[in-house]
Amino acid sequence: MLSTHFHGRMLSFAALAIAAGWFSCVPIRQAVAQLPDMPSFGNNVEPVLTRFGCNSGSCHGKLAGQNGFRLSLRGYAPEEDFKSLCEEEAGRRLNLIDPDKSLLLLKSTGQMPHGGGKLFDINSEAYQVLSKWIASGAGGPRSEDPHVVDLNVTPSSLSLEISQSTLLQVHASYSDGTKRDVTWLSRFHSNDAAFATVSPTGELIAKRHGEVSAVASFQGLVDTVVLTMPFSSTINEEQYTILGDSPANRAIDQHVMAKLKLLHIPPSRPCDDSTYLRRVMLDLCGTLPTADEIREFLTNASVDKREKLVDRLLERPEFIDYWTLMFGDLLQNRKERDHDVRGAKGVRAFHTWIQNQVAINRPWNEFARDVITASGSSESNPAVGYYVVTVGEKQAAESEVADSVAQAFLGTRIGCAKCHNHPLEKYTQDDYYHFISYFSQVVLDRKSPNDGHTLLSHGTQHLKNLQRQLQKSEEELAKLRSEAVDDKKIEEKLASIKRQTDEVEKARLSPPMVRQPRTGKQLSPQGLDRRPAEIVAGSDPRVRLAEWLTSQDNKAFSSSIVNRLWKHFFAVGLVESVDDLRDTNPPSNQPLLDSMAKELIQSHFNLRHVMKLIATSQTYQLSSDTLTENAGDTRFYSHYYAKRLPGEVLSDAITQATGVSDVFQGYPLGTRATQLPGPQIDSYFLTTFGRSDRVTACSCERSGDVTLAQLLHLQNSEALLDKLRKDGGNLNGWIAETESIDLLLDKCFLTSLSRYPTNEERESLKAAFEAADRKEVAIDLYWAILNSKEFTFNH
Amino acid sequence: MFDFNSNNQPSGHDFSRRAFIRVGGLAPLGFGLSSLLASEAARAKDGSQELTARAKSVLLVYLGGGLSHHDSFDPKPDASEEVRGKYKTIETNVPGLRIGELLPRMSQTMDKVCLVRSGAHNNDHHETATNWVLSGRFGTPFGDWPAMGAVASHEFGFDGTIPPYVAIPRNPSFTWELGKSAFLGGRHESFKVGDPNDKSFRVRDLFAPEQLPDSRVQRRQSFLKTIDRLAERVEGSDAIQSYDQYQQRATSMVLSPKAREAFAIEKESDEIRDRYGRNTFGQSCLMARRLIESGVRFATVNYAGWDHHAKIFESLDKKLPEFDLGFSALIEDMDRRGLLESTLVVCMGEFGRTPKVNKDAGRDHWGPAASLLFAGAGVKPGVVIGATDRDGAFVTEKPFAPHDVSYTILSSLGIDPRKHLFTADGRPVEILENGRWMQELFA
Repeated sequence: MLSTHFHGRMLSFAALAIAAGWFSCVPIRQAVAQLPDMPSFGNNVEPVLTRFGCNSGSCHGKLAGQNGFRLSLRGYAPEEDFKSLCEEEAGRRLNLIDPDKSLLLLKSTGQMPHGGGKLFDINSEAYQVLSKWIASGAGGPRSEDPHVVDLNVTPSSLSLEISQSTLLQVHASYSDGTKRDVTWLSRFHSNDAAFATVSPTGELIAKRHGEVSAVASFQGLVDTVVLTMPFSSTINEEQYTILGDSPANRAIDQHVMAKLKLLHIPPSRPCDDSTYLRRVMLDLCGTLPTADEIREFLTNASVDKREKLVDRLLERPEFIDYWTLMFGDLLQNRKERDHDVRGAKGVRAFHTWIQNQVAINRPWNEFARDVITASGSSESNPAVGYYVVTVGEKQAAESEVADSVAQAFLGTRIGCAKCHNHPLEKYTQDDYYHFISYFSQVVLDRKSPNDGHTLLSHGTQHLKNLQRQLQKSEEELAKLRSEAVDDKKIEEKLASIKRQTDEVEKARLSPPMVRQPRTGKQLSPQGLDRRPAEIVAGSDPRVRLAEWLTSQDNKAFSSSIVNRLWKHFFAVGLVESVDDLRDTNPPSNQPLLDSMAKELIQSHFNLRHVMKLIATSQTYQLSSDTLTENAGDTRFYSHYYAKRLPGEVLSDAITQATGVSDVFQGYPLGTRATQLPGPQIDSYFLTTFGRSDRVTACSCERSGDVTLAQLLHLQNSEALLDKLRKDGGNLNGWIAETESIDLLLDKCFLTSLSRYPTNEERESLKAAFEAADRKEVAIDLYWAILNSKEFTFNH
Repeated sequence: MFDFNSNNQPSGHDFSRRAFIRVGGLAPLGFGLSSLLASEAARAKDGSQELTARAKSVLLVYLGGGLSHHDSFDPKPDASEEVRGKYKTIETNVPGLRIGELLPRMSQTMDKVCLVRSGAHNNDHHETATNWVLSGRFGTPFGDWPAMGAVASHEFGFDGTIPPYVAIPRNPSFTWELGKSAFLGGRHESFKVGDPNDKSFRVRDLFAPEQLPDSRVQRRQSFLKTIDRLAERVEGSDAIQSYDQYQQRATSMVLSPKAREAFAIEKESDEIRDRYGRNTFGQSCLMARRLIESGVRFATVNYAGWDHHAKIFESLDKKLPEFDLGFSALIEDMDRRGLLESTLVVCMGEFGRTPKVNKDAGRDHWGPAASLLFAGAGVKPGVVIGATDRDGAFVTEKPFAPHDVSYTILSSLGIDPRKHLFTADGRPVEILENGRWMQELFA
């Protein structure tokens, strides 16, 4: 069958192919024409192994391999894979004399038992590539082989009706200028299979109204297609009108409305004043409005009262407390698990430091810079605590600090790339180690609180050792001098000190480097955009890192923080999840994200400015009540998405509603949960309601999940009952001093639900009061209120 | 690998919930919790013996700190004094099997259990090893992988009025809590029962803090209905649906005689309570039995305090008899009540202890050898599997790693350990990466 002549071979293939029927639907002529005389391991073989899942994480690509055969995950290490295929197992995987008898082919076509099953047919395209490669001598990866430099999927965006489909095409551009259709070798992935599915051959099928992106990947490169599936309701232009021309309207609402219009999703109506007041106060300050504040706001007739409210809230101490809590989560302010060196005191100090930044509305780029470049003693510079926690007892370049910094400040999860290339992003293992190289000259001199303060200094352990030795020598010299010894001894000591001084200087000036564990290469600091950093010898590389990271040009830096802020208010980020920003995970509204990032940069990284835009936008003021036509929308902000209150906020809300404070061990009575510096303070309530343990920088640490234990607690906890019944608590006070049931109802509702009872509620509740013991009825009513979603959610 | 090709809906992830929210109609009530309400079925996928469910429930007695196998189930009477320790051995009702002398009741119960003397791994760090044995996957000390109980909760959901996964009195912990649900989230954490030996024992928040007449209970519910209309105005919110669902669950747990009954340990006779032992461990075992009877699918009894780096014999003099009394009572009681058929009982710690007694008269952490006990669900009773060398240091026959134990436990429940779960960032991971069915345990 196999002639040695190229054309003859092609004819044979073609004949066989036509006869046997091709596995993929790629035109024969095109595919056959692409197969060179000696298939390249890197460009022909490896893609087949990736495409058919051989090197996937559930098969041979996992760390331990499968049944004794290991490949690099998705082919990130072709040289290793070549070895595994050719050299291991006495070469039985490949049969150069009779390629069809190679284990590689027998197993993948199911002719021999194979845990992974049959992956492709005999004489399929994949089979041809592998068998031809074996027949041609099974050459390894060659440095002169062209490599892929770009990947393009077409179309890059489109609109479909439900159940309609389209066939995607993927083209790869190579370093030698050639371009190849690699559709049959690409892997496809839908970012949300509920909205659209994509088949292994690239058929994209629309499933549900909305918008979704799909990703094509090939040889470590990725490209994205955005699919829009508008709802079918007809558009009523009026519904999408923006009522004004404020900065918020321009920065936010025009983009939101444009998207809703494109998708035929009508927005809900605006929310009323009492809803707005409660909502914005909870979102900005983590507190409920008081009854007086509500009354004042509702009767205030000025047209700009909502904007003025926002201005006031941004200055309140509760605002500062709440955002200190939020940034405490981001910066992982907690005690350490093992051999904690800062103690609760250190956590409190860092908490105060953060509080100061929030209080003066420190520009975010400066705030970030101070954390990243923190040095000195943890006592005089509490921000050093960030390194104490993320570096811990390890060497900085072997610790989690790079992961934390990337996640917290860039919204990027580079951690995957520590061991293998990132599956859905372009980050390679080299990128990871280049990045962590910035931290290779951080030395943490940990001291338990009794022994002194932990010190972060610039340098390496090696340098520190040399410096210590030098100091020792100098002390010895002083001793020798004072003992009036032989001149010769002194000279020797001086010479030794000179040598040591030179070594210290050499070490001090040595460039930062980190060893890439797989390749063994020494890698210097480089941003994730792969531009090498120019680091002055002897300077702290983190300074350059901070410059690169906080630069106006660094889209990830500005986008990630505005995305986090967005999510805080709107429950759903423009990018989800907030620490997974990548090209293959596009925002639900790109112009909107760009606009918000621009606002941040142009305001000199002013976070309050962004918050004000959000809080005064028309979008933010939409009701949470859904319309039939927008009830299915969970990404485009057609209505305010009701969300469970964070643990600390709920705890404080219960305190505020009942007038009885929680007791937090070690803190004065009256301390609110949002004021607590860290998760080490014991609280069943806070733990049960998902307080962040701050173990990692992951946004998932704080949980908004609803659980059984929470509902049981709200229903039956003694603590809650105690608050309802307590002398000096609100209920008892009101019952004692309020004659009219109407007024009593008003107080109950205003203080807890931030609104007046409806007529229906009033009638029904009044009847209950008149029929039984007032005190008991009041407790039952309040119990019901505190257990209601209207109370426990922001809506 | 990423879920490129299959139509698997990621479980426990927002995607699967949204899939069922339709525009223009009320989302099926509580759909988002279908995994909770789904009825389980035995999953013999390919007819293999492995995946047939053999047990309805698992009862794990967890000996936090590391049980010294030399002084309990794998004594070495012929080794040197510094290895064999203080205790002599006694016969058991399994011919040829001798165990430590402080376990007389267990010696008469060995015919009902399977003793595995060859647990082995290479880690001696409490938190890391604990999370490893409780999940079957090796990870960081902080627990990157969900405990088996959380996996069971995820797979079986809430079947009735009792939570599927309980911890008595609470989860194991050293400096921080261990054996958690990791990326499966809060809804699959264990339900903490508390200390049933407490005179004023009451499951936390399970009972109303005060006795209320029915009229007031009704009134509260009616007020709640009157006020809480958010669900009527907001369609398509998974959070709201979850809340309502759990609220109902909580109420029915509280009101359900069956649920209250399950936790009502005071209903047991003094005789039986004495037989288990009037201490936290004994009463926890008794509580576990009750909960298994009431339908709990995975119950963990956490019996910590085995970490004897110093004065081990002083400590074991007190602790082993307590264990002996409680665990033997548990096995006998379950056997008598016919529960062993449908329950897999496992008893283990995170590692064994060092063969040589140290200078403080204690033993330290020792990963390479440990003893485990299995009973019920088709496990061969009265059998010893595996062995260690003369000094009880290294396994000489049939080593079993933590993932083998987890593989076996999950498979017994009919859960396929190769099934994929989804982490918070959408990454598909198999429940277990490694592990094999411990064929040797079963008939």
